[in-house]
Amino acid sequence: MSISSAHEFHYRTALGPLSRTAALLTLVGVMALLLADIEIISPEPGLELTRMGLGLLSPRIPDQYVFVEALLNTLSFAFQAMALATLIGFLLSLVYRLAVVRAFCAFIRGIHELFWALIFLQVMGLSTLTGVLALAIPYAGILAKIFGELFEEVSPQPRNNLLVADHISAFFYTTLPLAWRSLCAYCSYRFECMVRSSVILGFVGLPTLGFYLESALREGRYQEGAALLYVLLLLIATLRFWLRRALLPVYLLAAFLLLPPVVEVSWDGAWRFFTVDIVPAPLRNNSQAQLWSWLTLLWQQQLQPGVINTLILGMAALLVTAMFALLCFPLNSPHFVRGWSRRFGDAFLIIGRTLPEYLLAFVGLIVLGPSMLPALLALALHNGTIVAHLVGRFSESLSLRQDAVRGVNLYFYEVLPRMFRQFLALLLYRWEVIMRESAILGMLGFATLGFYIDSAFEEFRFDRAALLIICSALLNMLADALARYWRRRLHLNTTPETL
Amino acid sequence: MRLLTVLAALLTSLTFSFSTVAEGFRFTAIPDQDESQLQARFGKVARYLERELGVPVTYVPVKSYAAAVTAFRNNQVQLAWFGGLSGVKARDLVSGSRAIAQGYEDQFFKTYLIAHHSSGLLGQSTGDKFPKAIQGKTFTFGSKGSTSGRLMPEFYVRKHLGQAPDKAFDRVGFSGDHSRTIALVQSGAYAVGAVNYKVWERALADGKIDRNKVDVIWQTPAYPDYQWSVRGDVDQRFGAGFADRIQSVLLAIDDPELLEAFPRQSFVKADNDDYRPIRDTAVTIGLIDG
Amino acid sequence: MANEAGVSQINPSVTDAQTGAQRARTSGEVIAQFKGQTLYYQDRPVVRDLNFSIHAGERVALVGHSGAGKSTVLRALRQQMQSECAWCPQDAGLVPMLSVYHNIYMGALHRHGVFYNLANLVRPWREPWQQVRKLSVELGLEHLLSQAVEQLSGGQQQRTAVARAVFQRQPIFLGDEPVSALDAFQAQQVLEFICKRHDSLVLSLHDTGQALRFCDRIIGLVEGKVVLDTPALDINQSDLQALYQ
Repeated sequence: MSISSAHEFHYRTALGPLSRTAALLTLVGVMALLLADIEIISPEPGLELTRMGLGLLSPRIPDQYVFVEALLNTLSFAFQAMALATLIGFLLSLVYRLAVVRAFCAFIRGIHELFWALIFLQVMGLSTLTGVLALAIPYAGILAKIFGELFEEVSPQPRNNLLVADHISAFFYTTLPLAWRSLCAYCSYRFECMVRSSVILGFVGLPTLGFYLESALREGRYQEGAALLYVLLLLIATLRFWLRRALLPVYLLAAFLLLPPVVEVSWDGAWRFFTVDIVPAPLRNNSQAQLWSWLTLLWQQQLQPGVINTLILGMAALLVTAMFALLCFPLNSPHFVRGWSRRFGDAFLIIGRTLPEYLLAFVGLIVLGPSMLPALLALALHNGTIVAHLVGRFSESLSLRQDAVRGVNLYFYEVLPRMFRQFLALLLYRWEVIMRESAILGMLGFATLGFYIDSAFEEFRFDRAALLIICSALLNMLADALARYWRRRLHLNTTPETL
Repeated sequence: MRLLTVLAALLTSLTFSFSTVAEGFRFTAIPDQDESQLQARFGKVARYLERELGVPVTYVPVKSYAAAVTAFRNNQVQLAWFGGLSGVKARDLVSGSRAIAQGYEDQFFKTYLIAHHSSGLLGQSTGDKFPKAIQGKTFTFGSKGSTSGRLMPEFYVRKHLGQAPDKAFDRVGFSGDHSRTIALVQSGAYAVGAVNYKVWERALADGKIDRNKVDVIWQTPAYPDYQWSVRGDVDQRFGAGFADRIQSVLLAIDDPELLEAFPRQSFVKADNDDYRPIRDTAVTIGLIDG
Repeated sequence: MANEAGVSQINPSVTDAQTGAQRARTSGEVIAQFKGQTLYYQDRPVVRDLNFSIHAGERVALVGHSGAGKSTVLRALRQQMQSECAWCPQDAGLVPMLSVYHNIYMGALHRHGVFYNLANLVRPWREPWQQVRKLSVELGLEHLLSQAVEQLSGGQQQRTAVARAVFQRQPIFLGDEPVSALDAFQAQQVLEFICKRHDSLVLSLHDTGQALRFCDRIIGLVEGKVVLDTPALDINQSDLQALYQ
C-alpha cells in the first residue's frame, strides 16, 4: 500500500495561457450551443435535398441575355467598389495610427454590406451607386486595417537610415515598396470576396447574379440555381487567370461604361433620410418625454433578444467552426494526404470558402427549416474551410522526424500541438467576421439582430433600424477588440493575407 | 470582329437598360408571389400601358414590399400595384399621391389560414369561428409588410388569442411571399400559415396543392386590399390630367389575358379613403405609428 | 547659426539639410563626445563608462570582437550628430523591390520637395540620375542602376548601401562594417571612395590592416570597455591582433 501510494498517478494538467483561452472559448461555445435553437424543423428534408441534388446534376440556363447581364453587373459592381474601397482604404491606412481612425474603420466594417445596401436603397434607390457604396464602405474599413497593419509590420530599417526627410517621401520610398507585395496579394484575395459580396447584394434587389439565384432557390427552380451557382464558382476559380494587372484599367473602364455610377434621386431624399427618417420617433414628434419609454420598449422587444441571439449564434458558430477546421485541415496537409487526394481535399475546402455563408444559410433554411441550425452550419462550413485551408497550408512548414508516428497519433501528438498556436490565431482573426455574419443572417429569419433590422426597414422605421445597426456595429467592434487583445497577450501573430 | 460587334451591342444595350431608365414612365408591383410570374405578368401590363398612354413604360422588378414603397417614395417609379398596407405606407410618405384603382375582388379581400395535416386541425370545421386550437403551434406569415399575409392575420390572432403572435405560437416565421407560405405549410415546416386567398386559389387551380396535406381552416372577414397608387406629381411631369388618364386606362382593361395575370375579374375605382380601415388596423397592432 | 563654434557638441545644430550644402567644420573642433556614459541596446547595458571625443577631421576606426559594442557606439554617435552624418549601417536596410538608382537616391530625399521625390519615383530626373550614375561608376554599379536590389549579390548590395550613404553628402561618415561583404581589392577601393568624400569618419572594421591603412586613430573595444585609444601611427597590426585574443 505504501509503495503504491509512492507511485501514485499524479499527473496534473497544467493549463498554459493558450489552452486556457481555448478552454474558455470552448466553454462559452458549448453553453451557446445548449441555448441555441437547433432542431431540424422540416419533417422531410430528404425530399427537398433530392430535388436540389437533381438540380445540381442538370443545371439549366434560363435566359441567356438576363444571365449575361447579371454576370456583367456582378463584375461591374465588384470592380467599381474595389477601386473605390482600395482608394479610401489606402488613404485611411496612412493615418491608421490614430485611435479615432482605427475606431472609425472598425465601425464602418462592423456594418455588413447588406445593411449598407439597405441604407443606401433608401437614399438612392436601385441605382449603381447604391451597390458600389454598399460594397465599398465596409471593404474600405477592412482594407484600411490590413494596409495599416502591413505598414506597421514592414522593416523599420530602411526608413531609419534616411536623413530627416518629409513623411510622404519616406513613405513612398520605403514603407510602401516594402509592403507592396503583401498589399497586392491581399487585394486580389479581397477582390474574390468582393465578387461574392456583389452576388449577395442581389438578395436585396440589385441586379446581380444573386437576384436570380435568390428567386430560383426560393421557388425551388434548382436547375437554374445550380447554373448560377456554377457560374459563380467558375468565376472565382478562374480569377487568377483573368485578373491580370495589365488588364485592370480595361476592366475598370468597362465596369464604368456598363454601370455608370449615376444617382437619379434628388439630394433632398438623402438629406431627409439622415436628418428626419433616422431621428428617433419621439424626438421627431417633439415628445422628448417619451424617448425613454421608446428606448426601453425597443430594448425589451428587439435589441436585447437580437443581441443575445447574435451572441449565441456567433459563439456557437465559432466553436463549430473550430471543430470543423480541426477535422478538415488534414485534407490540405502533406502529412496526411498526398498528391491527387490532397488536391481533391483542398478543392473541397476552396469550394466551401467560395460559397457565401448567406447563400449556404439560405439553402439550409429551405432544407432544414427555420431554426438556428442552418445558420450555424453555414457559418461553420464557410469559415471552417477557410481556417482549415490555411492551417493545412501552414503545416507544410513543419518538418517531422523520419520515424514519426502515423495517422491519428501523428495528428494528436505531432501536428496538432505545433499547429495549435497558428490555428487559434486564425480563429480569433475570423471571430469578428463570424459575429458580423451572425447578425446579418437574421435577415433570412433567424432571430439575430439582422431580423429586427430587416423588419425595421420593412416597416419604414429607420430610426429603429439605425439604432439596431449601430448596436450590431458596436458588437463587432467589441469582438474585434477582444480578439486583438487576446492575439497580443498570447503573442499570436499571423499574416492576415487571406483573412 | 463579329465578337467585337456583339460586345459593343451588348454594352450599349446594357448601359441603356440600367442607367437610363430615368427616362419614361415606370411602375412596379409588390413581389407577393413567384417572381418569374411577376415578370411575365407585368411585362404584358407594361406593353398595354405603353400602347394606351403613348409614353415609354418600364416595369421595375423589386425584391421586397419595402423596396416597392421606397422606389415609389424616391420617384423611381410613378405608379405601383401595392397591397393594402404597402399602399397606405407609400401614400403616407408621398404627399399628393393617391389610390386610383383596385381589383373588383379587392373591395372584399380575405386571408385564409391554412394548416398541415399533421397539426390535427384539418377536417374539424369551426365554421366562422376562429380556430383557437392553433395556439401553441408553429405559424408562418408571408412577407413582413403584407396585408393579407401579415397585417390582417396578425390582427385576428391578437384579437382572438389575446396575445402577440410570438407569444401565442411556438415559433413564428415570415416566409417572404404567399407561394412560399403554401410550400412551407404543405411540407410541414410550419403547422399553420396565413395566405392571400387569391394566390391560394390560383395555386389550387394550377394543381400545386395536395389538399390531403394542406387545407384551409379559417377565413378572415373581408377587407380592402390591393390597389394601383400613383404619385401626385405625374401631372407636372407627363402633362395635365395624366393621372386621370392612367386611371381610365386601368379601369378599361378588359383583356382576359391581362386580367388573368393579376388575377382579377376587372378593375374598379378606388380612393385613399377606401383604405382607412387598413391604416387603422396597422396602427392598432403597432405596424404604423399613429 | 549661433552655435557654429561647437557650443553644443551633444546636440549639434541642424545642418542646411534642404540645400544639402556640406558645412565645413573647423578642424579639431569636437563633434561628438562621451563623458562616462553607459550605452544600452534594447534596455541592456552594452558599453559602460564611455569616455572619448571625436574631433572634426579625424578618421577613427573602431575595432574589436563582434559583440564588443562597436555598433552600439556607432548608433550613439549617430544620435549625437543625427543630421550631419552619412550613415551606413551593418544591415544595409535597402528596399529590395526598388532599383539600385532609387535606393541610392534615397540618400537625397531630404534635399528635395515631396513632388520632386514622388515624380522621381515614377521616372528619374535627369540631374540626380547623372549624379548617382557618377557615384555608381566608381563603385562598379553603373550597369545595375535600374535593377531591383533584391536581384543583387550581397557585395553589390553593400556597395549600394555605401553609395546611398555617400549620396547623403554629409561631412561625417559613420560606417558599421561598410565593406564586410567585399573582397580585399574591392574593399580597398570602396574605402578610398569613402575617404575621398568625407573629412571626418568613424568606421567599425574587423580587418585590422584596413583600420591601420585608412584611419588615423584606433579605438579598441573589449566586452563593452574601451581598452585602446591611440593614434594609428603608434601601433602595429600585431598589437591590434591582441585585442582579438
